Amino acid sequence: MSTNHEQERLLAELKTAILEYAEGQAEATTRQIIAAGIDPLRVMNRTIAEAARELGDKFESGEIFLPHLVMAGDAMARVSELLESALEPGSEQRTGGKTVVIGTVQSDIHSIGKDIVAMLLKANGFKIVDLGVDVPSEQFVRQAKAESADIIALSSLLTTTMPFQREIIEILEQLGERDKYKVLIGGGPVTGGYADEIGSDGYGRDAVEAVETAKRLCGGSDASEPSGGGP
Amino acid sequence: MNPSFHEILLRSKQGPLVEEKEFDMSLFRKTQELQKKYEIRYDPQRPLDLEGAAADRIYQAGVDLYLSQGTYCSTTHRVIRVSEDELSAALADCPEAIELGQGEDRVRMVHRDVEGVQEPVVVAGIQTAPFSDERMMATIYEGCARDACVDGIWGGILLKIEGEYEVVAGTPSEIYQYRKTVEILRRAVAAAGRPGMITINNAPTCSATIAMFDEQTGLRRSDYMESTGMSEMKVAYDDLNRSAFALAHGVPIHGTHSSVIGGFSGNPEGAAITAVAASLGLVCVHKAVCFRCGTVDARIKSRVTRKQLWVAGTAIQALSRNTRLIVDGTIGDHPAAGPGTKQYLYESAAGHIVSTVMGAHSTEGTRKFVVGSTCNYGTPLESRWMGEVCKAAAGMDRPTADRIVRYLLDKYEVHLSDAPEGETYEALYDQKTNTPLPRYRKLYEEVREELKGQGLPLS
Repeated sequence: MSTNHEQERLLAELKTAILEYAEGQAEATTRQIIAAGIDPLRVMNRTIAEAARELGDKFESGEIFLPHLVMAGDAMARVSELLESALEPGSEQRTGGKTVVIGTVQSDIHSIGKDIVAMLLKANGFKIVDLGVDVPSEQFVRQAKAESADIIALSSLLTTTMPFQREIIEILEQLGERDKYKVLIGGGPVTGGYADEIGSDGYGRDAVEAVETAKRLCGGSDASEPSGGGP
Repeated sequence: MNPSFHEILLRSKQGPLVEEKEFDMSLFRKTQELQKKYEIRYDPQRPLDLEGAAADRIYQAGVDLYLSQGTYCSTTHRVIRVSEDELSAALADCPEAIELGQGEDRVRMVHRDVEGVQEPVVVAGIQTAPFSDERMMATIYEGCARDACVDGIWGGILLKIEGEYEVVAGTPSEIYQYRKTVEILRRAVAAAGRPGMITINNAPTCSATIAMFDEQTGLRRSDYMESTGMSEMKVAYDDLNRSAFALAHGVPIHGTHSSVIGGFSGNPEGAAITAVAASLGLVCVHKAVCFRCGTVDARIKSRVTRKQLWVAGTAIQALSRNTRLIVDGTIGDHPAAGPGTKQYLYESAAGHIVSTVMGAHSTEGTRKFVVGSTCNYGTPLESRWMGEVCKAAAGMDRPTADRIVRYLLDKYEVHLSDAPEGETYEALYDQKTNTPLPRYRKLYEEVREELKGQGLPLS
């Protein structure tokens, strides 16, 4: 076991690598962290969570842009993968990042807003399954089942495609699977009132609010925190 | 040689196969490189480029970006590229003027110069917004069409068929309802005494958009077909289906694209370069003869932030100074504030002054940025305002525009994130006479006098 000072140095180095989008450096430092015997849970719940928060703040203030979130998200995904592989058997269930199946609903090809939410969620430790745009309702349900998703996140930028958000909730109800997933909706014309009306579990007025709502739906302040049962 | 539409389609099937993420990240890298190469800098203290030197450098950067990046076809995952010679030929083939509308309502849409006196074409109307019922829709359209400063009307949608059945994009209900809606629009402009007026609408899918075309009761060859590019620098076959129909049917194609500040273009400098490059793509790939050169901010629901005014204004100026293309700007179309508020009028005025002075028309309607499913969220008075401002700004010099825009930014900029919601038509208008209620008329006149005092020559 390394000294506390050495551990702190490695964790700071990892955070810097993530914030500088240096995936290779982040991977190398993570291997050193594992070799030094630092608890992977501590890294996930502290270092990665802090980096994610800083990234979200910088994006919100206009200091960084979507491509930076993509690069940081890639780095964090690789780090998380290594840390999970280093966990002791049996502890995965407690630590695995929550899974979000996300996409823009059928007949709607708007992608940027959805992409930003996906990247911010990824940066906050969620596992993202991005289905893209113009996604048929059944595909959301099918993929959520295949991925054992925690959240289904639905973007709609057109008034006439908003009904697909409701349709997906109805399909889940008809299949008796509504309770298995939290449904999070958003998009330009979507309002909190509409979210309540169609029975979704959460709504994001913008990308940052969507991430906060996703965290809340997972019962914690961060996706990688133990959720005590979860959705 | 200008590559034909069919050659473009071939390239969409045979061009380089690229992962979408790689295309996106490549856009970011290139815009970062080009802004350094061409020394492009956004200065928040200078929301308008007054000399045109930056605009010229942005044009060159936009050409470089388009030639190296191309247009990504999201349907086939291939990149459509054109050569420098092909781009030059495509630009040379583009008309400098087109005619829209019919009879006495016909207008000429020409290439506009920076500070140009050429009259901007104004297509107003509460763009793509939902209406509660046929009567209300017809009334509001008719009111919008009565103003002489408005040359055309953008349609919206009735959310329920026969007041009962929901309209859903991509289903038969979309085709049926968009078709019925455009018939209401045609009847409304005729009732306003302007049967030949430009009428425009664009449905979520190409099939419903194509279904709106019919010389007798729908959209005509004298209107235009919207063919939308996807952000950023992408296209799908659903968009090209619209171009295919328009080319075969003889309808002018109006392209639309928005670069994204905070998106893969990155900073405002990158978004300005992408706005130019994507416009060139609309000409080469979509075969647009006029197009909207615009931008959105990934974080703010308005089109007239300080950054957006600089990005769109400089990109429009770049295209106006360096080509003979017909550019549409419409920067002021989607204010954060709602109708019936001074802020709506301030935001709208700032955007439309910049569009007009930098060399563009304004043909994309006007409405609050976010209307959701709230019906009748606009009145004819906002269309009049759009028309009045655009026509008044024609011929204005950039320093005057800069001074007025700075005045307006001072009024609304700090309130973009907490903009007033405004009110619906029912609350702002006397429905029997289809005229604004006294309090709204008073508010309108106050802002009008205020801007006249600032040097906007409203007649």
